[in-house]
Amino acid sequence: MTQRKHACRIRVGTSGYSYNEWTEAGFYPPGTTGAGMLPYYSSVFGITELNYTWYQMPRAEAIDRMQKTAGIDFMFAAKLTRTLTHEIEAKKWEGEAARFRDGIAPLVQSGRLAAVLVQLPPFFGRTTVNRRYLAALLERLDPLPVAVEFRNDSWATQRVFDGLAARNVALAAVDAPELPGLFPPVGVLTCHDFFYVRFHGRNAAGWRSGNMQSQFDYDYAETELSGWVEDRIAPMAARARAGFVFFNNHVRAQAPGNARTMIRLLSDAGLAVSGGSRSRPAGERFGM
Amino acid sequence: MGAGQARENGYAGLRGRPRTVVHLNIADFAVAVERQMDPRLRDRPVIVAAGAGARSAVHDMSEEAYRAGIRKAMPLRAALCRCRDAAVLPLHPDRYARAMSALFKEAYAYSPLVEPGRMDGHLFVDITGTGRIFGPPVDVAWRMYRAVKKRFGFDPIWSVASNKLVAKVATRLVKPVGEYVVGEGEENEFMAPVSLDLVPGIRRDERIRLAGFNLVLAGQVAAVGKEHLETVFGARAGRIHDAVRGADAAPVAPAGSDPEAIGVSRTTGSDRLEIRPVERALYEMTEEIGAYLRARQAAARTLSICVFYPDGMRTCRKLSVHPPSAGDAGLFETARTLLYMAWTRRVRLAGIRLSCPGTTGRSAQLELFGGMDGHLRHEALSDAVDRVRERFGAGSVRTGRMLEASA
Repeated sequence: MTQRKHACRIRVGTSGYSYNEWTEAGFYPPGTTGAGMLPYYSSVFGITELNYTWYQMPRAEAIDRMQKTAGIDFMFAAKLTRTLTHEIEAKKWEGEAARFRDGIAPLVQSGRLAAVLVQLPPFFGRTTVNRRYLAALLERLDPLPVAVEFRNDSWATQRVFDGLAARNVALAAVDAPELPGLFPPVGVLTCHDFFYVRFHGRNAAGWRSGNMQSQFDYDYAETELSGWVEDRIAPMAARARAGFVFFNNHVRAQAPGNARTMIRLLSDAGLAVSGGSRSRPAGERFGM
Repeated sequence: MGAGQARENGYAGLRGRPRTVVHLNIADFAVAVERQMDPRLRDRPVIVAAGAGARSAVHDMSEEAYRAGIRKAMPLRAALCRCRDAAVLPLHPDRYARAMSALFKEAYAYSPLVEPGRMDGHLFVDITGTGRIFGPPVDVAWRMYRAVKKRFGFDPIWSVASNKLVAKVATRLVKPVGEYVVGEGEENEFMAPVSLDLVPGIRRDERIRLAGFNLVLAGQVAAVGKEHLETVFGARAGRIHDAVRGADAAPVAPAGSDPEAIGVSRTTGSDRLEIRPVERALYEMTEEIGAYLRARQAAARTLSICVFYPDGMRTCRKLSVHPPSAGDAGLFETARTLLYMAWTRRVRLAGIRLSCPGTTGRSAQLELFGGMDGHLRHEALSDAVDRVRERFGAGSVRTGRMLEASA
């Protein structure tokens, strides 16, 4: 299929990139050390989602060091720290939000921040307290590009989508196992700047095991991914300026494998996909 | 950073893989344990004091007390002048030991390589190679943290790094609460802005010497280079150079294998400044260590002593045992020299700890000419005493020195 001209440029990557098992699984060349992973990763993909910022408040100096090791056109999404999503303390969260913004400042300054991902836990239901908290949090993060991922289906209402759209905040479209209570896999565009998609895998048995190795152990079939391209990604891409697609099924390097497939499928569908530095033509690589 | 430098930094672990070490550190451990026992102590300054009466000294204090200017080993009287509303509690080593044991069990679920500290709320866990079972290291560390918080109510500082030294510095940086993940290969950059006060393995006199050269940060010392450090610090230069660059090849010693664990402590109850009772206590400790070594066909290469004064001060010294020995007499000779080296203040002692940080296998090779002599003879005598005690009880054979004690 010939590539049609389209304003929306999509980047596909993985949730996190620093996994030693990816070397054993053949994604990283043998002998790749921790420090060598991002340079290699950025030669394959054009974006990554920083997972460690959920565990640890980002520190500007570390973020700055890290971004310098990636390719020149590489972008980052940063997951909001757990003290703002899962372990919220009423008296502390505002300070934590300020610290988070300080931590990711190097990405903002260099124009490499694709989005901040606010991943809310399953127990974060749509209550008055939580609604107010989310509104206040989004206000604190404004004007950063923000995507919100719900894991509780009580948020799947038109009023929520409208509220996000009014704030120009993206609703993360999520593929996960079909389990009761989980947010449905809808592709609703609430932000015209970008859309945000996360593939967690469909391992229903391991989803609530509390062990990431079970939860995210899944290998997508090509038909499952092409269904997403056709039903959700292409319609959102028709209306947004950019799109970010991430694979979180990191176990045994299934995520980078599926991400590569997704890049091919998007490209076949005539959508513009930005890959890593190795995938770009020489002119684009040098900013020409 | 390439694989070569990775090896140089000393974090290449099993089969050359980079190591992943998690450090859990419960700040102000003694206070944290006491607060678990008595919730009324929360949100108020707390001091745990060693000893009793006028010579009592601060063993540990809460963050509130620290902010009021109280420090470890400070005389209790002086501490209370700075923080009059502090709750003062006596030491409860049994409680701290129980808490450490519970923490150990929690971490042991993730790795057999768990190195607990000495009842101080520190745990090092080597989780290298567990990724396929438990997931990414940072997630494992967070799960340990969450479990400790949920089950015991502690709020440990946690860090993830490629070796113990960097992991320890990382928790020191975020004390009293927080977390720090140092990526593999980031050790140099991480250490560069760190104050030398926070770098383990650099002695106080060395820090003072370095400050004299206007070197106060780890990165500044690293930039000087090992050769220049050698001219000032001699054989210690390599150790210092490694430490300031975050290089540490020391393994996470599995519980029970800690050589320092071959050690015994005694409190010296007398209120008088007398050498004989202390020597007797030392001999008794030497006998315990000797019996432990002989039972394992091991011999001491090094002995270490720490003497504790009633005001909380302590002095530690270490000596090689030449030749390595497991005989009581040979060990006592070295131990007594150590005691004289360490006990330099004319103040009575509150306690002594004698340990054996370096061991080796016992030599089975006898002298080619002549009979048994020297340390071999002493070892043979100790072996014979061990056999008698095994058969007839610990008090069946005693040395003259110990008879004097009971007279």
